[in-house]
Amino acid sequence: MTTPLPKRIIKETERLQSEPVPGISAVPHDDNARYFDVNVEGPGGSCYEGGVFSLELFLPDDYPMCPPRIRFLTRIYHPNIDRLGRICLDVLKNNWSPALQIRTILLSIQALLGAPNPEDPLNEAVAKQWKENQAEAIKTAREWTEKFAQKK
Amino acid sequence: MTLRGMRRLEARRQMEESNFLLSKARSQNLNPPVDFRLLDYVTAYDDNLMCAICRCPFVDPVVLAECDHYFCRDCIRQSWGSTYSPSGPRGDCPQCRTPARLGTRSATSKILVNILDDLLVKCPKHEEGCPVSVKRGEVEDHMNIYCGYAYQECAGERCELPVRRKDADQGCLHFGVSCFDCHETMQKSTLENHWRSECAVRRVTCPRCNMHVLSKDLDSHNSETCEAVSIPCPGASIGCTSRSKRSQAQTHAKSCTFAKLAPVISSQKSRMDEQEAAQKLLSRKLEVLETGFGVMQGILYPKVSVEADDLAADESRIPFLDNSASERTLPPHHPRMFSGDSSGNALSPFDFPVPPTSRPSSAAPGVARRASPIGLPPSESAAALRQHDPIEAYNTNYDLASPGLPPPSTSGGPYVSPLHHLLSMHESLRDEMSRVNSALQELDGRHSMQTLNENLRTREEISYLGAQLAGLSRQVHWLTSTQLQRQSRSATPSAVAGSSSEMAGTSVEAAVNAVSTAATALRGAARMVSVGQGQSSSGSHGPMRRENSAEGRTKL
Repeated sequence: MTTPLPKRIIKETERLQSEPVPGISAVPHDDNARYFDVNVEGPGGSCYEGGVFSLELFLPDDYPMCPPRIRFLTRIYHPNIDRLGRICLDVLKNNWSPALQIRTILLSIQALLGAPNPEDPLNEAVAKQWKENQAEAIKTAREWTEKFAQKK
Repeated sequence: MTLRGMRRLEARRQMEESNFLLSKARSQNLNPPVDFRLLDYVTAYDDNLMCAICRCPFVDPVVLAECDHYFCRDCIRQSWGSTYSPSGPRGDCPQCRTPARLGTRSATSKILVNILDDLLVKCPKHEEGCPVSVKRGEVEDHMNIYCGYAYQECAGERCELPVRRKDADQGCLHFGVSCFDCHETMQKSTLENHWRSECAVRRVTCPRCNMHVLSKDLDSHNSETCEAVSIPCPGASIGCTSRSKRSQAQTHAKSCTFAKLAPVISSQKSRMDEQEAAQKLLSRKLEVLETGFGVMQGILYPKVSVEADDLAADESRIPFLDNSASERTLPPHHPRMFSGDSSGNALSPFDFPVPPTSRPSSAAPGVARRASPIGLPPSESAAALRQHDPIEAYNTNYDLASPGLPPPSTSGGPYVSPLHHLLSMHESLRDEMSRVNSALQELDGRHSMQTLNENLRTREEISYLGAQLAGLSRQVHWLTSTQLQRQSRSATPSAVAGSSSEMAGTSVEAAVNAVSTAATALRGAARMVSVGQGQSSSGSHGPMRRENSAEGRTKL
């Protein structure tokens, strides 16, 4: 690491460890403090309930001026998450603000699991299914959660 | 002469100026400007003093003109970096996304700046040994003027290397030495730092306990393991004021009562805190329940709401009310209360619930009241008087229907709380309700069975009578036809025929009379049946009707 870690990242990491968000954990790698292993629990009442989804999070050099890069590592059946795990979420793109933090972003992702938005899809097939036969789509999402996500 | 003097003066002034500038530039170079974001803050600061972008206490805070959010000037500049506009930097507020521009410098609240400048921070050189904590606003001065660990220009001639301010008066220290212990070569100026944090061999003697410790571990030795440093007794938290050296702390702890009690007391204290929190929760719950109970009481006894409120407010009186009220009122009144409820809406809600407190305290008020409505307190309105008789009728019926009815099981002595009292009352009321319900059903069944039986019998009788009537009418027909034949045959009058025809005429008349009586009897029977169907008849009508029909038959 050529440039020293900004104070903000150190503080955010400390706070994530000392007072973690319920249902969310983020642990930095030992060799790279900008790379986090994240686990997010499916929100209660959603079709992802009971599953724990792992994600990877990377803070680019100009963080917090540009958004962190986040990707799902667990397969998930969701209209706004594609097969590679990339997430379609406005605050991760043009609506990023430097006042947002890792914890707020992870909370947004958890909220996205609770409220899928098939009107702004990243995964067309899933979104189509979601719009046409929501019950079936939710059933599939449950099955996938059962199959791929870790148990809580 | 004066001209040369002037020139010399001028040259000297220029030299001094350049020297001054140079030294200033050097000293600034030697001590890089303090980055406030890297400082260690001694004072705790909360989120309100923190820039949302760098998560540090604001450095040169600016306020946004539209939304009044504060940010560090650098942070907000950097965040708006790409958006340039000729009228000054502008962009969306990172916190609320309002389109905004930077406020003027004077818009920044002075009090905020003062608070920030008063935050205590450790000297940036604290890792190198400077023990000072200064206000953040004075850090620059501390570094540039006072801090012994800040660098300045070496006093040695032609030496341009930096030296710590505290070593500056020892002359130039920039010559090679080697460490006595590890024999590493270095400059004299860095030797101290080497001993302090690097050298893995050098040992020093602790001035207090005369122990040899690694030089770089001296700090931790002093604070953690030195036997000669005096530390407070473990029981200090509960009142022991003695301090003893670490070596004697153990022996002191053995003899000190405070030290022995300290763990017990601290565990008890934590338990007490727990209990207190739990108790707070419970008392809150109790409060909620009590208000709920008060509301329920208000609903039940609206007439004496003032009294009820008094009782609810005066806790000490509630048990008393319970004891007396439960014994006095419950068993005899329950059926009555229930009947009032079931006999319909004619009873206004104000008449039905008589508060226990307003009842006369006679031995069996319920019985007295059942005997005559005079026993009712005057508060009950005339409607109750009007309604009383049907209620009593119902009551006797009810008692007949289930004579073996046990008294309500609620007279079980004093109640733990008014709520219990109410609940048991409610429970017994429900029991009554179900019992009466079943009695009613039984009665209904019996009733319908009886009606059916009566009907069957009557129907049989009617059909029998119908058959009789048909026989009679046939007889009459036969008689009239023979009579007619006889009349036509004896067209020529004869004495014999006259007498016989007279006989036939009387017999026909009698037959017609009989038929008409039979018809009235039948009509009467039919009326009976219809009455029997309409009225809820008991067996008492049966014999009379049979008499009637027997009469009809004898008449025939």
